[in-house]
Amino acid sequence: MTAFMQVAGLDHRFGGLHALRDCSFTIEQGRITCLVGPNGAGKTTIFNVITGFLVPDEGSVAFRDRKLDGLRPQAIVRAGIARTFQNLRLFADLNALDNVMIGIAGQFGEEPVGAIFRPLHTSRAQRRRRQEALATLDHVGLADRAHDVVRNLSYGEQKLLTVARVLATGAELLLLDEPASGLSAGALDAVMALLRRLQSEGKTLLVVEHNTRVVQQIADDVLFLHQGHLMAQGTPERIIGDPALAEIYFGGAL
Amino acid sequence: MDFLYTYIVLAEIYVLLGLSTNLLVGIVGIFSVSQAAVFGVGAYIVAHFMMAADPLSFIPSLAIAAACCIALNILVTLPSLRVSGDYFVVTSFGIQLLATAVFINWTVGTGGANGLPGIPPPDIFGLPIETNQQYVLLCTAASVLGCLAFWLIMRAPFGRLLRAIREDETAVAAAGKNVLRAKVSAAALAGAFAGTAGGLYATFLSFIDPFSFDLDASILLLTMIVVGGARTLAGSIVGPFLLLALPQVLTLVDIPTTIAAAARQLIYGLLLIAFMLFRPQGLAGERL
Repeated sequence: MTAFMQVAGLDHRFGGLHALRDCSFTIEQGRITCLVGPNGAGKTTIFNVITGFLVPDEGSVAFRDRKLDGLRPQAIVRAGIARTFQNLRLFADLNALDNVMIGIAGQFGEEPVGAIFRPLHTSRAQRRRRQEALATLDHVGLADRAHDVVRNLSYGEQKLLTVARVLATGAELLLLDEPASGLSAGALDAVMALLRRLQSEGKTLLVVEHNTRVVQQIADDVLFLHQGHLMAQGTPERIIGDPALAEIYFGGAL
Repeated sequence: MDFLYTYIVLAEIYVLLGLSTNLLVGIVGIFSVSQAAVFGVGAYIVAHFMMAADPLSFIPSLAIAAACCIALNILVTLPSLRVSGDYFVVTSFGIQLLATAVFINWTVGTGGANGLPGIPPPDIFGLPIETNQQYVLLCTAASVLGCLAFWLIMRAPFGRLLRAIREDETAVAAAGKNVLRAKVSAAALAGAFAGTAGGLYATFLSFIDPFSFDLDASILLLTMIVVGGARTLAGSIVGPFLLLALPQVLTLVDIPTTIAAAARQLIYGLLLIAFMLFRPQGLAGERL
């Protein structure tokens, strides 16, 4: 049996920094996998490689038996993998609805010829897409904020909006970079509930997360990364309960 | 009355240029200071084909000019895909200087610094456009069509995509969109606007010279966008009409003609600085 997503032998250097060292792992469909490790372990670098923003020195990524190597980011989204960013990267001047609509694939009127010469068809298509986007916003609990400009949303709402934007792409595998960091207790519960709901709807999640309590509550699988190498893989109980890993994670000596 | 017609025709031609500049600079955030060069190429191409030994009529000449300007504008905008922000301004500045040098020195093609006189008036499918009223009609039609196209784009997904690109290209790519294709489309459209404006300009004045398409002209276009208002249709219309009225207003003030041109440049410069400092969104726009 082949894995849903397979990362094999990733190796990458930024100048003198060896960010990824022969890093390999697999992701199973329908599960929530948490990627943990100390700062600088290479978690975001792995996201950048999988989503095509960084071409690794060596190694390859396969998704549903298809090699993704050399594909541009937009092609990888179409293949079914979409990501969020740790620093959100929302479109601050656009409203929440428009932020979600940017994620929707294959819209009519997304090039000038259609927009200018078939305006009625464009607006009809837009109306349908707007309903889709509103449903997606409703799904993450932001329906009442649809017409608010991003800069007026709270940090927690902005985090939910980044999830709505990747959901709009229709991707099956969602890569979420620290969706729970910096949130209040209430917002944290909302995000965790959302992640479980996405899983129950058939999405597969790969989540970078620092908060061990969050990891214990949502993860089916945990990948422990250290100095760009996969040190351990297992259930949250096993990884978090391992004193050697805890030593590394909480800044102990090597 | 002639003076009023001339003002309206020129302002409408500059509205097309304003749309072109606003699309690139205001909407997509490609800070081009070479739109006057593309404008000039459109003007020279239309003049060339209408004055050839075997002349073409106006519409085919304009179509050729628009096609060439689309290609040219894509070409000069391409560096913005690799170099960002401030660096692109320098590249664009170089393109503008290069174009001016060609306009001045390629005497066979452009008439050089002496300019190119005797460009025939346009015709629309055999109907000659000769009187000022006909000219106003033609240019009004062209600028209304341009504004309509701009408006349709801004309310379509394409407009949203372009605004998103201005804010964060990486996030647009992560949302599964092709940034390159969108930027090339916007550049093509801006090229078509500028080329059309060039053709109208050349046939209306019947004389063109390199100094209508130099760096000063590019900066005037930017000033129009800043004063009128970046990112909006209204801003692209208000700016040209306002700034082209300025020289006419200056003629009412009793200053020697020798310093009138310098005074005009001075006022354009002051307006640009004042608006950037005190009202960056212009009269009818959004914050740049």
